[in-house]
Amino acid sequence: MNPVLSDDAIEFGETARKAFTALGDVDVAREAEENPAKRAEVGDMLRSLGIDELDPRDDADVFAAAAALAEAAGRHALPYPVVGAILQRDGVPFALVPDDRTRIDHGDLFDMWNISTIDGSNGTATSAGSGFGSRLGPFVTDLTRGDLASITHESGVDTRYSLVLTGFQILGAADRAVELAADHVTNRIQFGKPISSFQAVQFMLADAAVAVAGLRELAHFTLWRVATDLIPSGVDALALRLHAIDTARAVLRTCQQLHGAAGVCDEYDISVITRHVQPALRLPFGAERTAAEMNTAVQAMGFSGLFEHGGARS
Amino acid sequence: MDFDLGEDAEALRVRLRALIADHMPEGFLGAFTFDPKDLGVTQAFCKTLADQGLLTITWPAEYGGGGGSHWDQTVVREEMWAHHEPRGAQYMGLNWVGPAIMGFGTDEQKQQHLSAIAAGDIIWCQGFSEPDAGSDLASLKTKATEDGDGFRINGQKIWTSYAGMAQWCILAARVGDGQRHEGITMFMVPMDTPGITVRPIKSMLGNHHLNEVFFDDVWAGPEAILGGIGEGWAVIRKALAHERVGIARYARCERLLSALGAELAPVWDKLPASLHAQWMRALIQVRVARLLAYRTVRAQEMGESPDVLASAARIAVTQCDQSVAELLFQAVEDESLESGFNAPLHGAIEDHWRYAQAATVASGTIEVQRMIVSKDLLGATK
Repeated sequence: MNPVLSDDAIEFGETARKAFTALGDVDVAREAEENPAKRAEVGDMLRSLGIDELDPRDDADVFAAAAALAEAAGRHALPYPVVGAILQRDGVPFALVPDDRTRIDHGDLFDMWNISTIDGSNGTATSAGSGFGSRLGPFVTDLTRGDLASITHESGVDTRYSLVLTGFQILGAADRAVELAADHVTNRIQFGKPISSFQAVQFMLADAAVAVAGLRELAHFTLWRVATDLIPSGVDALALRLHAIDTARAVLRTCQQLHGAAGVCDEYDISVITRHVQPALRLPFGAERTAAEMNTAVQAMGFSGLFEHGGARS
Repeated sequence: MDFDLGEDAEALRVRLRALIADHMPEGFLGAFTFDPKDLGVTQAFCKTLADQGLLTITWPAEYGGGGGSHWDQTVVREEMWAHHEPRGAQYMGLNWVGPAIMGFGTDEQKQQHLSAIAAGDIIWCQGFSEPDAGSDLASLKTKATEDGDGFRINGQKIWTSYAGMAQWCILAARVGDGQRHEGITMFMVPMDTPGITVRPIKSMLGNHHLNEVFFDDVWAGPEAILGGIGEGWAVIRKALAHERVGIARYARCERLLSALGAELAPVWDKLPASLHAQWMRALIQVRVARLLAYRTVRAQEMGESPDVLASAARIAVTQCDQSVAELLFQAVEDESLESGFNAPLHGAIEDHWRYAQAATVASGTIEVQRMIVSKDLLGATK
């Protein structure tokens, strides 16, 4: 029993964080909104880190390193489809997409994508046009899809890995948000003292930190399940997605609140991180649809734990 | 990375489940029900566990224990709590009174108490909390005044579980006029010592859970002191360290979700979608609580300080207990008000809801845990 990522994966994550910081940290996202071509630099930097050689489907250690990279991307609001790029096949990135349209964050960055819907229907989509330019989805792009085939082994695998890696990306954003909030309440003086001295503030922060700690343990567990136990682990991947969305929504809200009005201002990193993680929370679908998908999966395949649940009973 | 608890721990789980299935009656809800027979069932089960060397499997081998690993201990905690603590009132003696005596006791005290605890013969209660000393335990006022070669103890303890059935009490009292930790001394006294009065406190938790214990000029000889005069805080810290991981409440939550899920299976698709969604979140919450508990155990295993992790785990575990209790009530609807053998899951759901209401208070309030977590977090930013 060892619930922590390998030293190599942790080290790779730290290397990635240093590289993201050196490139400009959250400012890179701000710049990319002004100049979307900035993202090409991010792609170059990721390639220099070795993203093209990082296939998590190879083995559990590479999967852990890829997860650390995805988490780092979330921490820094990196304006790049890191999860999709990690899951590329022959240079074509992967995206899990909504049932009836092909809406992908940073979809415009690649001419062609391998796509799958949650049921494993899969095919390719081509990009024509640019991102929405909206505040919550500046780089979200609608692509044109070809005909979809029914589930293949590859599409099922890619779907699970995509759910897990996106879970790590969301974890990174939530973890950074707590750090930013802790820093802010320590430095913000009101009524003659740091607002961190108010117990109401301390308790909000404690709850957020515990939520993130729980999400981290679940992310590690799910990575292990998916890496070692491919077929039934679709349930676990959905569970991680649901918990990541639930946790991030609550934690980001708390951390914005603790920033006061600054929480909605783009001069503050919390606002940019909150905006840039929205596509990961909403695509291919949000929490309630994820819960419904998980329910179907649990009834079919069960849910691993100390006792049997759902389909595992029959 | 590996989340497998190992073959030994899982074999122990299988063995414990088989014993529980063989020996515990259907619908058993713990030793503290309104049915006095339940206490007898737990005492008999303790004998069975003791005969097979399982009662003290987590004790060190030098004290006749099984020398079980941290993960063996985890499995014992999970299986016992999942099945309504078939060890009944022995929980206290096994989990920390015994280990505290191992750590601080004289040879005579070890001789006198450890084999009795290991045999499941003696029920202990713990006198920590007082009416004015709850989360702030160091403010306790119970006094031990020197009298000849011993002490006279005067004061009041409260929330004392099992006091009505215990043969022995381990209590904290203050020697001298010191403040805070100064002078706090641990005494072990037989509950039939003249001057001890137990008054049960009626509560929604059930019988025997909560009591007041009054000490009026209770005599305690020098042999009653554990760890030396004024050394009680060290004993308490050790006791709290044993309890750090806390009760494996998530295990019972998961067992009840599994059992009720099985009963609801034929009508599952007809249940409201909102209940499906809540149920999925409950399964996740139970898993997360378990993983946070495991993270704490791992820290202990590695010799790292588990304090903050343990507090995080406690917050998650106790909140999980309460939200699962409420979900189960939503699922059984108006039958939630029934109790006893004919109620849903033989009363386990109703029992769980009542007991869960104290989860965020018992053994350290959730507010104290939040203070520990936030202090750690904010300290790191300075």
